[in-house]
Amino acid sequence: MKIMHCPLNGPRNISEFVHGGEVKAMPDPANCTDHDWADYVFYTDNKAGVVVEWWLHAPSSYWFIAERHTVTDDIIRTYDPSEVFKQRVEFSTESDVSTEAGQMKLKGVGA
Amino acid sequence: MSEHARLESPMGLMIDRNTQVSFSFDGKKYQGFRGDSIASALAANGRWLLSRSFKYHRPRGPLTMAGQDANTLVQLDKEANVLADRALVENNIKVNGQNYNGSLENDRDAVLGHFSRFMPVGFYYRSFFKPLPLASLFSKRSDSWPMWEPTIRKKAGLGVLDLDFQPQYYDKAYLFHDVVVVGSGPAGLSAALKAAEGGASVLLVEEQPLLGGALSYHRFDAEGIQADQLRAQLLSKVECNSNIKVLKNATCNGWFADNYLPIIQGKRMYKVRARECIVASGSFEQHVVFRNNDLPGIMMSSSATRLMKHYAVKPGQRALVLTGNDDGYLAALDLHDQGVEVAAIVDMRASVESEVLASAVKGRGIEILTGHTVYEAIPTKGNKHVRAVEVRAIAARGIVELDGRTIDCDLVCMSAGYMPVYQLLCQAGGQLSYNDQAAEFSLSKLPQHLHVAGSVNGVHGLSDVMADGERAALQALEALGLVQDVEVPKINCDRRVNFEWPIFSHPKGKDFVDFDEDLQLKDIVNATRLGYRDVQLVKRFSTVGMGPSQGRHSALPTARLVAKATNRSVTETGVTTARPPFSPEKLAHVAGRIFDPYRRTTMHHRHNALGAKMMPAGNWQRPAFYGSAQDRDRCMQAESTHVRNKVGVIDVSTLGGIELRGSDAAEFMNRIYTFAFLKQPVGKTRYAVLTNEHGVVIDDGVACRISDDHFYVTATTGGVERVYREMLKWNAQWRLDVDIANVTSAFSAVNLAGPHSRKVLEKLTADVDLSSEAFPYLAYREGHIANIPARLLRVGFVGELGYEIHVPSRYGEALWDALFQAGEEFDIRPFGVETQRLLRLEKGHIIVSQDTDGMSHPGELSLEWAVNRKKPFFVGRRSVDIVMAQPQTRKLVGFTLPKDAIKPEEGHLVLKGKDISGNVTSCEYSPTVDAIIGLAYVGEDQCQTGSRFPIRVDNGFQVEAEVVDLPFFDPNNDRQTL
Amino acid sequence: MSAISPESFLKRSAVYRNLTGARFKEMAGSAIVAANNNGSDKATRSGLLDLSTLPRVGYRGGNAASFLETVDLPVPSKPNQFLQASGGELVLRLSPQEFWVLSALRDEGENIEALRRRQLPTSDCYSLYCQDSHAWLVMTGEHLPQTLAKVCGVDLSDEAFPVGAIAQTSVARINVIVVHHEVNNIPCFSLLCDSAAAEYLWDCLLDAMGEFGGEAVGIECLVQNLSGKN
Repeated sequence: MKIMHCPLNGPRNISEFVHGGEVKAMPDPANCTDHDWADYVFYTDNKAGVVVEWWLHAPSSYWFIAERHTVTDDIIRTYDPSEVFKQRVEFSTESDVSTEAGQMKLKGVGA
Repeated sequence: MSEHARLESPMGLMIDRNTQVSFSFDGKKYQGFRGDSIASALAANGRWLLSRSFKYHRPRGPLTMAGQDANTLVQLDKEANVLADRALVENNIKVNGQNYNGSLENDRDAVLGHFSRFMPVGFYYRSFFKPLPLASLFSKRSDSWPMWEPTIRKKAGLGVLDLDFQPQYYDKAYLFHDVVVVGSGPAGLSAALKAAEGGASVLLVEEQPLLGGALSYHRFDAEGIQADQLRAQLLSKVECNSNIKVLKNATCNGWFADNYLPIIQGKRMYKVRARECIVASGSFEQHVVFRNNDLPGIMMSSSATRLMKHYAVKPGQRALVLTGNDDGYLAALDLHDQGVEVAAIVDMRASVESEVLASAVKGRGIEILTGHTVYEAIPTKGNKHVRAVEVRAIAARGIVELDGRTIDCDLVCMSAGYMPVYQLLCQAGGQLSYNDQAAEFSLSKLPQHLHVAGSVNGVHGLSDVMADGERAALQALEALGLVQDVEVPKINCDRRVNFEWPIFSHPKGKDFVDFDEDLQLKDIVNATRLGYRDVQLVKRFSTVGMGPSQGRHSALPTARLVAKATNRSVTETGVTTARPPFSPEKLAHVAGRIFDPYRRTTMHHRHNALGAKMMPAGNWQRPAFYGSAQDRDRCMQAESTHVRNKVGVIDVSTLGGIELRGSDAAEFMNRIYTFAFLKQPVGKTRYAVLTNEHGVVIDDGVACRISDDHFYVTATTGGVERVYREMLKWNAQWRLDVDIANVTSAFSAVNLAGPHSRKVLEKLTADVDLSSEAFPYLAYREGHIANIPARLLRVGFVGELGYEIHVPSRYGEALWDALFQAGEEFDIRPFGVETQRLLRLEKGHIIVSQDTDGMSHPGELSLEWAVNRKKPFFVGRRSVDIVMAQPQTRKLVGFTLPKDAIKPEEGHLVLKGKDISGNVTSCEYSPTVDAIIGLAYVGEDQCQTGSRFPIRVDNGFQVEAEVVDLPFFDPNNDRQTL
Repeated sequence: MSAISPESFLKRSAVYRNLTGARFKEMAGSAIVAANNNGSDKATRSGLLDLSTLPRVGYRGGNAASFLETVDLPVPSKPNQFLQASGGELVLRLSPQEFWVLSALRDEGENIEALRRRQLPTSDCYSLYCQDSHAWLVMTGEHLPQTLAKVCGVDLSDEAFPVGAIAQTSVARINVIVVHHEVNNIPCFSLLCDSAAAEYLWDCLLDAMGEFGGEAVGIECLVQNLSGKN
C-alpha cells in the first residue's frame, strides 16, 4: 500500500486519504460562457505529468494539496491549501469579476 | 528395515529423533519423527510415490523437497492441496493422495498417458471452446464444454473440500521495521547482521522452519565443513542481536508500493512496512529436460541433499548425478559420504571445470562422464520409480549421439542451474534480462529502497554471496541515514552455474518442461508453431506455468524454447508476469478479522427490546418498523395510522448535523445552499437544498438559525459525511470566518409526531412554551425536556403536529425513556423508517437519493421555490441556470393507483409508447388515502394532473397510473401547523 | 450497599451494556466502571476501560490557543502532541487551531466543568462537541503497540510514538484519535472514537487483546482512592 505524507499527520497509508479531484480555478460563474462553465464542471486535464490535486486526510478531516506525477505515481509535494488560497474570496454580480484581477480574487490565488 | 534407517547426526537438522509420530498415508500406517514433513517421513519409509500428475496421471514423487513443486500435493482430512514437503507430520493425521481413480498405486486413469498424442497442447482449449462452425449457429447447437466439463473436472480434480468446515481464527497484524530481509540464506543472514549492527531494526523472513538457506543443506567445499561452520557462526550472531526479529515458516507473498509486504505465518498475515527491503530470496534449482524426467526418484540435487541434511533420509541406494555445474559434484560427495553409491557423475559440460572437486570425486571412485547427458530414464513397472538411465554423449546443442549406455540407478539428481527467485522483484517493477554468457536471468530497474542480494542477484560463490549481502545492507543503511559516505563495494561474480541448453528432445516425448501441467517439450514448440510467439500467449494457450508451482521450473526452459523457436533472444522472449501471491494463500488470510464497522444510535437497544426489525442505513442500524419481517405491511400501516391519530416517536439520531459558527456563518450558508439565508430570522428553521457544481440535488436538510452567527443544519443520514467534507473544501478556498463542525454523533434526536405530541411534551418541560402562538410551525426553540438540555424544531416531514428533539447523545437513551413514560397515557408508540417513508410519501416530500438520481435538478423536483436565483452565488448556481433554461424532459410527479392494482416497485419503468420516459422512485399502499400512491419521473408531456401513464411492473404486466397533485393528504397542511 | 447502575443516570456511556457484571461508581454525574472482577495486574498487562462519561471539552479557532493560556492550561507547541496540566488534565493539540482537554481521572472532572463556565473569546474560538460526538476508551498495559498493530496501520511503538504523542488515524476501519499517556506508570492509549461506533470498536479491541489475556477493567485498576460514590 502506498504511503502519502499528510502535512498535518505525517506519512500514512493511502487508505486514510480521500481523493478530491484536481485543483482548478472556477471561472466567473456570473459572466463566463456556458462553454467555459461546462468545461470547468465536466472536464479534467487528465494529463501525463505532474497534477495538482485535493486530498483529504479522512481521520482528521483535513484537506490539503498534493502534487503527483500521474506516470510514476510519485507524490512530489503536499502542502496546506493556505499556501495557494491566501485570502477571502468574494462573489459579486458586478462584472469586475470577469477582469483578470477579479479572476484572481475569485480563485483566491495570490499573484 | 535397515534399508530405511535414518542417517546419523548431524544429518537431520529438522527432526527430533526422540519424538515419534504416527500417521497414515493412503490407508497405510507410517512412523516419522517430529519435524518431519509428510514427504520426508514417507521417504524415510521408502515411500516415494506421492501423487498422480494432472493430465496423464503419471506417478510423481518429491522433486524439490522445499514446497516449490506440485508433485507433493496431498489431501488431508480437512484440507485439500497440502504440500507434503512443507506440511509437518502430526500424530494420527490421515493423508491421502489426490487425482487418481482407484488407488494412488494403481490409478486406472494412468492409461491416459498412452493417449497423450491424442491430447496435444491446447487440447481442452481447442476441443471444447473452439468457435462454433457457422452451420451450428443455425442448428442452435451450443459448444460442447458444458457436456464434457463434469467428466474432465473429475479426471483432473485436485482434492476434496471439507464441506463441514468450521471457521477458524485468522488475523492480521502490522509490523514496522527499518529493514526487512526476505530469505535467510548466506546473503540474507549477512545482510541482516550488517544492517542490525549498523543500528537498524531488522526483520528476517524465512520460508523454511530453519535459518540458513543453502547453508543448511548445500555443500560448498570439497571437505564439506564450510557450510556448517559458517551457519553456526552466523546463527549465533543473529540470536545475540536484539535488533533482529526472525520470522520462520513465514512467506513474503508479495511486494506492494512503498515496501508493503504481506507475510504469512501460520494463521496470521503480517502487513509489514519496511523502510528498506532486501530481497535475498535465492534461486530455484532447475531440472534437465529429457524423456521420463518426471519419474519418482528423479529430483533436484538440492532435494537429495535436503533429504539428507534436513531429515536424515537416504534419497536412494544408487545415484546418478546429472549436472551442468560444480554443484552436482558437491552433491555427489554428500551422497557418497552418506553411504549412497554414486554410479556416475554425468556432466553436460564438455570438460571438468574444477580439478579440486573432480579429484575429490575420483578419489571416492566415482566415474565422471563429461559431455554427456541422460537421454532417457527407464522406469520400473507402471512408471513407479526410476530403475536406470540411458546416457548418451552430447553431439551438439540439445542433440545426442545415436548410441549410449544404460546405467542402473534408483536416484537421479539434476543440477542444470538456477533461476533467480525474481517474483517479488518483478512485482516491484524490476526487469529481467538474459545474460547469454552466464545463461541466466538477471534483474535491473528496481525501485528505490528495494535491494537485492545473493544468488537472486546472480552472485554465486559463497564469499561473494556474503559480501553481496553486506553490500545490500550498506546501501540500506545509507538510505536510512545510519551511515554516511560509505563506499559501497561492487561485487562481481564470474562463477558460472547455468548450463546453457539442458534440453534434450526425445521422439517418444514425455520430456517434461512443466510437471504441474504435464507439458512436454513438443507442446511448447508446437504452441509457437501455431502462431503463439509471445510467451504470454504461449502460457495461455498451453497453460505452461499456470500450475501450483507457477513456472518456478518451467519458466526458464520455456523462455529458451520459445526464443529458439521464434529466432529471438531469451531477453526478448522473457518470462510471464509474476503477480502476487508468490505462493497460494487462503481466503481466510486475506479476510483476517473482517472489520465491518457499524454505528448505533443511543436508543438502539431500546429498539431491540421493542422488537424492531432493523435495517442498514449507510453503516447505521435503524428500525424499519417494529414487528417481524413477515408482518411488514401490517406493522407499517398500523404505525402510520397511529401517528395520524395519536402520537408516535421515531429515532432520527442518524440524521446528519452540522454546526456553522462565526461572523460569516450566514454568508457561508448562502453560498452552500440554494435558498437565501442571510435574512433568515433567529429562532426559525428553513428548508435547505444542496446542489453540486453540476446543478444536481445531492442533499437536503433543515437549517436552524440559533443566533446571528450560529446555524445548526441537518443533512441526510447517508449524505452528511460528503456534505461536511465539501463544506470544508469550499472554505479552504473561500477562507470565510466560519467554523464547520460535524456534530452528527454528538446529538441524539427523535421526531415526536401526531395529534397528541404537544400533550406529551408539555408533561416534560417547564421552560419551553409549546403553544402554537409561542412555538409555531417551523420555529426553533431551546429548553429542557425531562431535565435534558434540548434543541426543539417544529417540523412537518410526516405531516402531523410534531417536534424534532435533539439532545446531546449521552442523554439520548434517557430522553427515549422519558418520552415513553410521559406518553404512556396517550398510547405513545414507536415507528420505524419504513413507516416514516410512507408518512412523508403521503405528504409528497421527497427523499434525496431515493427520489433523486445523478441527474435530478431542482426544476425536475418542483423545488424552484427553494432556489434563490437573486443571490450572486451558490454552488451549482450556474449549472442550475443553464439546465433550467433548456427544455425540460422529465418531472417528478405524484401518482395513484387503485388499491387492488399490482403495486409497482421502486425502479419500475414509466413508458411512453415504446420508449421509456421515467421510473418509479417511491410507491406504497397508503391506509390513510386507501390507494396505492407513489412518486415517479414521467415525461414532460405526461405530467399534467389527471393524465395517465403506463408503468411496466413485474412479469411484463402494465398498470395505468394517474397523475395527482401533491400532497396526497392534508393539502393545506392544517395538521402539521396546529 | 446499593449497587450503582448506569441507567439510574441521565448521562450514559454508549458501551455500558458491554460491562454487565462490573461494579460501577458515580463520577461526574454518571456511572463509571469501578472494577470488573479483576485487579490492577490486569491493567498492567492488557486492559480496556471506558471513560466516556468523564468530562472533556474542545476549542477551535484562531483564538483557541490564547484562550487556553488565559485559563492557565499548557499549550502543546505542535499538532498531534499533548501536555498534561497541573490538575492532571490532558491538553491535546489536534491541529494548529484545535484543542481538546480531557478530564483528569481523580477530580470528577470539576476543572473541566469550571472551564465550560468560562466566557469564550468573542470571536474565532468555538467550543466543540467532543463530549458527545466521541467516546473515550482507554487501553492499558504492556502490549499496547502489538495490540493496536492488529487494528491500525500506524507504527505505535514507543520509539515512533512516545508518551506525549497523538495519532489521528484509522483503527479497525473507523476514525480514532490515539493518545499515548501514562497513569501511575501504566502505559495507556486513550482512544477517542465516534460515539456511535463505540460498541463496534469495543468488540474489535477486546478481540485484538485476546491474545494477551486482555479484559475490560475498571478505573480503580488505574487510580486508587478515587473520590465519587460507590
